[in-house]
Amino acid sequence: MWKSIVYKEWLKIRWFLIGFTILGIVGIGYLFLKVQHGFTFQGGTSFWYNILFMGLQFFGFFKYFPLLGGLIIGVAQYFPETINKRIKLTFHLPLKENNVLLIMHAIGVVCLVLSYMLLLGVFITLSTIYFPSQMVFDSVVSVTPWFLAGLVAYFFVALIVLEPVWMYRLLYAMVAGFFVNIYVKSPVIAAYGPAIPGLFVLTILMSVVLLFSAYRFRKGEM
Amino acid sequence: MGNVIECNNLTHYYGKKMVYENLNIHVREGSILGLLGKNGTGKTTTINILNGFLQPRSGECLIYGENSQHLPPATKARIGFLIEGHIQYAFMNIHQIEKFYSGFYPNWKPAPYWELMSRLKVTPTQKISTMSCGQRSQVALGLILAQNPDLLILDDFSMGLDPGYRRLFIDYLREYAKAENKTIFTTSHIIQDMERLIDDVLIMDYNRVLAQCPISEFMTTFKRFDFELENDQVDLKNLKFVKNLEMVKNKVELYTYESKEFVQKFLENNGVGHKGFNQVKMELEDAFIGLTGKY
Amino acid sequence: MEKFSRIILVLGAILVLAITLPMLYWMAFEKPIKKPFVLYSCIDKDFFILRAGTPITFEDNKGNKYTREKYEQKLPMWYFQQLMVSGLMPDTINGKAIDMHDIGRNKSFERFKPEDMNCPKPKFFPMFESQSGRASLELPNDYFRITWRVEFIDAGTNKILEEKSQLFSAALYHKDFAFPATKIEGLPTTRKSCDEGYLIVDSSNELFHVKMIKGKPFVKKIDLPDGLKFKHIICVDFKDKKYYAYLFSEKNEIYILTQDEYELIKFPVTEFNAENCDLKIYGDLFNYNVTVEAEGHTDVIILDKEYKKVDSYHESWPLLSERTEDKIFGYLFPGELSMEDPNSKYINFYWKGSGNLGWIILNLLLLAVHFLILRRREAKLKGHAVDLALVAVTGIYGFLAVNLFQNKFFD
Repeated sequence: MWKSIVYKEWLKIRWFLIGFTILGIVGIGYLFLKVQHGFTFQGGTSFWYNILFMGLQFFGFFKYFPLLGGLIIGVAQYFPETINKRIKLTFHLPLKENNVLLIMHAIGVVCLVLSYMLLLGVFITLSTIYFPSQMVFDSVVSVTPWFLAGLVAYFFVALIVLEPVWMYRLLYAMVAGFFVNIYVKSPVIAAYGPAIPGLFVLTILMSVVLLFSAYRFRKGEM
Repeated sequence: MGNVIECNNLTHYYGKKMVYENLNIHVREGSILGLLGKNGTGKTTTINILNGFLQPRSGECLIYGENSQHLPPATKARIGFLIEGHIQYAFMNIHQIEKFYSGFYPNWKPAPYWELMSRLKVTPTQKISTMSCGQRSQVALGLILAQNPDLLILDDFSMGLDPGYRRLFIDYLREYAKAENKTIFTTSHIIQDMERLIDDVLIMDYNRVLAQCPISEFMTTFKRFDFELENDQVDLKNLKFVKNLEMVKNKVELYTYESKEFVQKFLENNGVGHKGFNQVKMELEDAFIGLTGKY
Repeated sequence: MEKFSRIILVLGAILVLAITLPMLYWMAFEKPIKKPFVLYSCIDKDFFILRAGTPITFEDNKGNKYTREKYEQKLPMWYFQQLMVSGLMPDTINGKAIDMHDIGRNKSFERFKPEDMNCPKPKFFPMFESQSGRASLELPNDYFRITWRVEFIDAGTNKILEEKSQLFSAALYHKDFAFPATKIEGLPTTRKSCDEGYLIVDSSNELFHVKMIKGKPFVKKIDLPDGLKFKHIICVDFKDKKYYAYLFSEKNEIYILTQDEYELIKFPVTEFNAENCDLKIYGDLFNYNVTVEAEGHTDVIILDKEYKKVDSYHESWPLLSERTEDKIFGYLFPGELSMEDPNSKYINFYWKGSGNLGWIILNLLLLAVHFLILRRREAKLKGHAVDLALVAVTGIYGFLAVNLFQNKFFD
């Protein structure tokens, strides 16, 4: 049965996921084209210097990209479920309602994480051409919260989209907005280091919030 | 044979507005029940409660002995559910959706589905969302037939079907249900078809049930008498045996469960002058309108 | 599971509220503190204070008011340029003839904030050539790190320069350097008068001075008194070339490291704490002015050119916790959460409890209100134990969160 759910979720999100991933790879390509250009024109020395001592985040324009991915995948996956309340069909499947949702959610998370890993992998691989591992590591520490923000956005989109009452959607959206803000604060490289374990825990916890709005839907809140 | 659906003392409100109170519904195994009622009388509310998408204020619905609010997966597998408007995953095409659903039901019988699909003029890759209303309805119905459930809950299944096809489908459905001992709980806007399909009728009005009985019993006991009053000031509306009365000037349509003799005798005993008294034969739709009123 | 998901959502909302509400509160009600700007007059041998506001006031230590011009004339070292422009610069001070070049040469200014210490540090540094024979410094093409050895990495090719790395590693090794380095501090900029390399703390808290002279490593292990550990080092490039750096010890002592003799001299300043005090050290022809600014007070310590204390000034203002807006805060909120801290550049979950316990009253009140709400809804208390506990502990945050996302579960 879960294979059928994988199939359905894949049908919904595949083009968005592929599109997002390609866009991401193109974006990273552009990023390193710029790095290459910088190395050629300014020289590697001053490019490094700007990163090390001038606070340059050469990957900074990437900040909201994982967030965008979370939003896109979340909407692509859950919005079709709410058109004409199709989620009723999903709940009617011979599975426990929460299990269906959690399987759907897990599929979305796996797809999103795979895409993120691919992007991060490309980023790291290209980074190691230009920068030593410690600088790459600091960059990874800087971008990790952004990817977590993408997951959190995905979780909140599910919560918001499945909610039957508009007022509640608004409330969720406000919580979501402030919540995501926690992940995208400082532009200082590697400043997020001490907070990352906590952010991981928060992110994992938020993965179940959609069950609340889905429950409200099932009980006929309006 | 036992009851497949049993709703006991169902009460629901939307906020302060009562939908109904202490509603009791029973659907026997192997029977076809038609739930009729005007818009807003609680048909969809009842369907939602039956499918666990609405928690009633009080009371409960049992399907195969299980509370409809917490149906175990095995019971859900026995229920085919057609959502009003033939809603389906419209982002799939007919092959994808069949592949999707077949994974859930061990008794999946794709033959009736493909038979229906073969008659649709759709391309194999055409998404359901781009199909016509009628085509979509056939996809949704075909899937339910393929699921081969023991209980079919069909919310307004005839919507969007061509008259000819509707007739065909109803005949097919009835034969199918009777041959395989399926139970059907259905609502429909188009009442004339229901007569051919259903065994039992449940007619709902605002806040109450007007009738719940076998359709044959309803059609024989519920009657319409037409006559002309000599004095159109006479008030017959609030009499106990009169279920409904439609009056245009002095022409009266009187609906009742009582016999022709009873009504005539009543009119004579109470000195109500009238002429042209006769019983009018009714179709289900006439009877429904007669019972629930035109407004 | 649904109940669990709701609790998570409520906790998320509490987190967000605990960040947002205090932020909004402070935005609305926080009043600025006008901190005095204190300078020491080499003429009067006393403190002069500038107070921001409308209008700006200038006064001496006894409260006498001055005009701006008079005030500036009392502080010729600080307002030297202004006095030159207005032609009011004295030729002699305290009977001593003034050489303008001396003033410039003896002028130094350094500023420290705790966040300069509590921040992610770069791990690579450029090793300048200290005696290149050129007038200006040039940025080298490679950067070094000190892990299990010294490694120079060419920025153009991202490859380790093996020969140079071995050369420097060996030099450090011979001076008993315990790899890896725990602190590398220098002035990694070409905008300095000359290069003095880096002050490096090794794994056994020993201090080294490392620079490159004509392509060769220069390594000097600096003798430290027993038990002296540094938590922060600020390298300086002052014209007088008296010392390499300010060094803060774990015990919050301020040292300077003199040039050439490598003598550590402790400033007679006890008021400083690098974790939460701003520090300004302003040196001129006659004195060093050490300004320590903490929450609620400022201390200005004046040293002579031999680093001996000559005078000090203390002024305090109400601590935040003594001010009305913080007292009211304490009655509303159990505390505040922030991802940022004024004393650190790191992002973390910074929780600051309220200055008083007034919030307990509100918590109990809200608990009672929530109890009444549940009563009116005829809810069974057992199913709401978590909600009640959240309201009791987190007060207004929990109260808002549990009521926004109501616990309406059907049995």
